[in-house]
Amino acid sequence: MVYAGSYNMSGLMTQLAQVTMSTETVSTSKNAYLHLSCELSTYSKWDSFFKIRDIYESYVNPANLKPSLYKRSIDEGGYTKKEKYAFKGNTVNSTTKRKNKPETQKKFTIGASTQDVISLLYKVRTIDFSKFKVGQTQNLMIVFDEKQIPVTLRFMGKETVNAGNLGKKECYKLSIGAKTDALRGKDKNLIWLTADAKKIPALLKFSIPVGTGQLTLTSATGI
Amino acid sequence: MILSVVFGLLGIAFTILPLDTLAFLPIGFALVFGLLTLKQSQDSQKKFPKIILTIAALCSAVVLGKTLLVKDEVATDTQFEQQKIETKQEAKKELEEIEGLE
Repeated sequence: MVYAGSYNMSGLMTQLAQVTMSTETVSTSKNAYLHLSCELSTYSKWDSFFKIRDIYESYVNPANLKPSLYKRSIDEGGYTKKEKYAFKGNTVNSTTKRKNKPETQKKFTIGASTQDVISLLYKVRTIDFSKFKVGQTQNLMIVFDEKQIPVTLRFMGKETVNAGNLGKKECYKLSIGAKTDALRGKDKNLIWLTADAKKIPALLKFSIPVGTGQLTLTSATGI
Repeated sequence: MILSVVFGLLGIAFTILPLDTLAFLPIGFALVFGLLTLKQSQDSQKKFPKIILTIAALCSAVVLGKTLLVKDEVATDTQFEQQKIETKQEAKKELEEIEGLE
């Protein structure tokens, strides 16, 4: 799935980056994992001014999407940060390395159904929203910034939106709420999933401390 | 006059920066204030607003050209590609470590 990432500048959406989400199977000597990857790269026209190269990855059990390893590597205009969360049962061992700072480690416990942010997106796609009533909520847990935080998903009904190469699609509109400084505003973080069996994220709108933006699906293949 | 100069300079800056059609905002203001300055100027003082209007028109042409001709593309980044390969290899080792602890 390829998305065009736009950022709101003085009221006008400016295309800034490309976001690519992909999956592949990765095997070790013992197990097979589903590698969920999300990459963000600024368009070449922006690279000279503010180059971003981010990778968010999750290695999950293909049967239940339970994460074993979550990795985040960001390079945003020269600021770098690397995170690694190793899931062992109900324990997470996290390692964080920020630019020019020593590596920090943390160990914390999580619930049985806690996901990382990437695997959460895929988990949400397995929820049957067809029987949801407008306003109905679904509570989930994620690990973010070295702690476990609750996330609430609120069903806001159906809307038809442009879904790139798939054309116009009827979608489930969902509002994402989380007790974190990373997300701002009520019902300002939204996701539209196609109202079919594939539940492809067609549009994402976000409100973060540095502004607002959106990801619009440009192409979805091999799903 | 001052406003036309300010917006003219902003128009040039926005044209150089990859701000797409957002650049039309200061360029538009530069054109408006440039025209007002031209109208209010005496015949001997019309040269400067004409320069502002020419710059604004040129910036408009450049922004329009960039919008129509330059595609939004991600550059091939060999360093990033290498990083992705390395991180995947590392992940495999890390997964085996996690499996060993279970």
